[in-house]
Amino acid sequence: MDELIRLDALGAGGPYHSRSRLTITELTGTPVAELSLVPRLFVQRTMAALREARTLPAHERAAALARAGRLFATGVVDGIPAEEYQHIVSRVSGMPIIVVRAATSGIGRRAGEAYRTTRYARPEGAVDDWRDPLTRNGQAVWTRRGDVFAVHAAGNHPGVHTLWLEALALGYRVAVRPSRREPFTPHRLITALRESGFGDDQVVLLPTDYAVADDIIRDADLAMVYGGEEVVNKYGNDVRVLPQGPGRSKILLTGHDWESHLGTIVESVSAFGGTACVNTTAVFVEGDPAPVAEAVAERLSAIPSLPPEDDGAVLPVQPVADAHAIEKYLLDHVNGATPVIGGDGVVDDLGDGSGVLRPAVFLVDRPDAPQTGIELSFPCVWFAPWSRADGIEPLRNTLVLTAITEDAGLVDHLVEDPSIRNVYLGDTPTYLMPPWVPHDAYLGEFLMRTKGVIRT
Amino acid sequence: MSTDPILDCPLDQVPEGPEFIAAAMRWHFNPETGSPYWLDRAKTLGFDPREDVRTFEDLRRFPNVANELRDVRVEDLIPRGYGADADVIGVYESGGTTGPPKRVVLLRDWVERLMHRTEQDLRARGYPESGHWLSLGPTGPHVFGELVRWQAARRGGIRFTVDMDPRWVKRCIAEGRADEAERYAEHLIDQSTYILETQDVRVLVTTPPLLTRLARRKALVDLINTKVGAISWGGAHMDPDTRYLLRTEVFPNVKLYGTYGSTMILGGLAERVAPPGEDLVVFDTFSPYISFSVVDQETGEAVRYGDRGQVVMHHVSKSFLLPNNLERDLATRVAPPPGQMGDSVADVGPLPTFENETVIEGVY
Repeated sequence: MDELIRLDALGAGGPYHSRSRLTITELTGTPVAELSLVPRLFVQRTMAALREARTLPAHERAAALARAGRLFATGVVDGIPAEEYQHIVSRVSGMPIIVVRAATSGIGRRAGEAYRTTRYARPEGAVDDWRDPLTRNGQAVWTRRGDVFAVHAAGNHPGVHTLWLEALALGYRVAVRPSRREPFTPHRLITALRESGFGDDQVVLLPTDYAVADDIIRDADLAMVYGGEEVVNKYGNDVRVLPQGPGRSKILLTGHDWESHLGTIVESVSAFGGTACVNTTAVFVEGDPAPVAEAVAERLSAIPSLPPEDDGAVLPVQPVADAHAIEKYLLDHVNGATPVIGGDGVVDDLGDGSGVLRPAVFLVDRPDAPQTGIELSFPCVWFAPWSRADGIEPLRNTLVLTAITEDAGLVDHLVEDPSIRNVYLGDTPTYLMPPWVPHDAYLGEFLMRTKGVIRT
Repeated sequence: MSTDPILDCPLDQVPEGPEFIAAAMRWHFNPETGSPYWLDRAKTLGFDPREDVRTFEDLRRFPNVANELRDVRVEDLIPRGYGADADVIGVYESGGTTGPPKRVVLLRDWVERLMHRTEQDLRARGYPESGHWLSLGPTGPHVFGELVRWQAARRGGIRFTVDMDPRWVKRCIAEGRADEAERYAEHLIDQSTYILETQDVRVLVTTPPLLTRLARRKALVDLINTKVGAISWGGAHMDPDTRYLLRTEVFPNVKLYGTYGSTMILGGLAERVAPPGEDLVVFDTFSPYISFSVVDQETGEAVRYGDRGQVVMHHVSKSFLLPNNLERDLATRVAPPPGQMGDSVADVGPLPTFENETVIEGVY
């Protein structure tokens, strides 16, 4: 790449090319882009402008979202065609190109459906407008809890940027702080939204220094923050903030026929390069987990090591030093678990400064082994024995739990447990996310509330 | 023993660097005129400043004794050559970021010299010739508010103050009580509002964080744009984007100038006058009294012009000597204007960090 891509901040007055910039490099360390970083003063002025901005009528929002989705997924945005955007994201984030392509069309589709998907969260008793004739006898009207929504985004997968589109659909003005790892997707998406009808003061991109990040949340009405345990601890008690914490998705396998479910397990571990919160982190097997782990390991071992932009790539790639840091973290935390694959290391050096993170499969000897909670951003899975006597405790604190079981009583417990966010049954991979199924509850439940209206 | 006239040279003259340094060494290390502190400290220097220190570069031979100013009796800092009735303006203390505060003594002859220079700087920058000043920043043991008082007084104005205790703010933040620091800062802005609303304030002196905070209140911004002719900021770093936004969007009608100073150099320096649109904020020094070197953080060697390094500050005057004080500030080394000893500095402050630490576990 001869010239660095210019990723301006997208403020309420239009793009802002700042004096303080961060160089974004691809996997080999070659600079590809310069991201403008904005100071606190810019953040607070932008957030104030969002607060004063008007909201488009619902039908215009829905239409603009659909246009933006098409433009994002197939068009030329800021001079960059979709194919080039996908190549850059793959080369910067190390995500397999097929995953980026699927994510691109997924974002395009979800933008078009964003208004429709907000409907799933609306209580049956609520209407959208006080003018609805139902309010004559008293009715709930579905209203926003605020006007300005902030997102501290993640860079693990472009798909994280589908969720906040629902906030736009519901009439919020939205501020996104991108991840340094992958600012291209939100920049492209917000640029597309602006070209499709949203005002500069209705959706903004605020790349900031770490010290200023909290200002975006402070000046918003509501916020969503991606991160690990530390984010949950920091914001868990703040009712204005919705933390998107660790996924720790799991599979429970009961009964004796495990061979026919191998595909579900392998796919759940390795889809999206294993980088998503819905990728399976631990598998609990009734009986002996070793044969299942070995069979899964055998299939995962067959995946080739390829550069991410190769059409056959499945595994994630990182700059080799970062890959070794992840590997060291893993090996430092094995703590007595038995390696099936990956015990000697997981990095496959591609020789150009980048390294593939190859799958790791480990066996632990009891269901409450702490390793089952270690979630890493590549296909890494812990197998544990489980019996009905262990109950659901080891299965708790889970974003998606796939239970392959015939025990309806057990399923009752899983569905009732508040720390398990989604329960999938049978051969349903943990990574499935149809728009009508809530991800971590519907975002609309957080963004909206009912308000009583009676007209006499 | 008579004082070398170069140490008492008229306020409107600037002495030659090497000649001045040699005279200052003779003064500070002569048993009859030097301070008890330096005369005692000279015994363990391993060199004789009167013989071995003659140039600006030679100042780097001194050890950094700034930390010793935490414990020294202030009487021991006054050169004996002033006699028993040295005209002490006051004793001032550092912010106290790293341990107990460091103390310095300001004598009248230095303050007059500094104020003469400051007055020239204010004129060159077109500060309002009359009206009152508001210091929204540290007073108490800190020299910040005092400098404002002297500047205002010289121009026939009154200095209003809203006191900020920087040590309390730092402590709140260090203890993870960001909300307490937040409340305190809002309280300070409230206090300054009462003064700005009712008094004829023409110059506002404050810190960049407080200026940014103040900009959150639209009514206050309007008031300042109407009333205030100039804003001086200092005491902390201002990034170039904030400066640009303040100048173009927030306070388009107000002159905005930075000051870079430290208790340890007994003063502050005004931002170099530059054409509009110039992003680089440069601070020239007040040599030979106050001078800087910009050095490599690892080797201590001078960095090249345009490169970043750590700032070394020197104060050499008749009243006080503190050479070779390595500050924590980072800055870009800039060529000095003609006649200035040592470096000028630009972009003082830390570089941005996007994330506070590398987190491996988790997918985000």
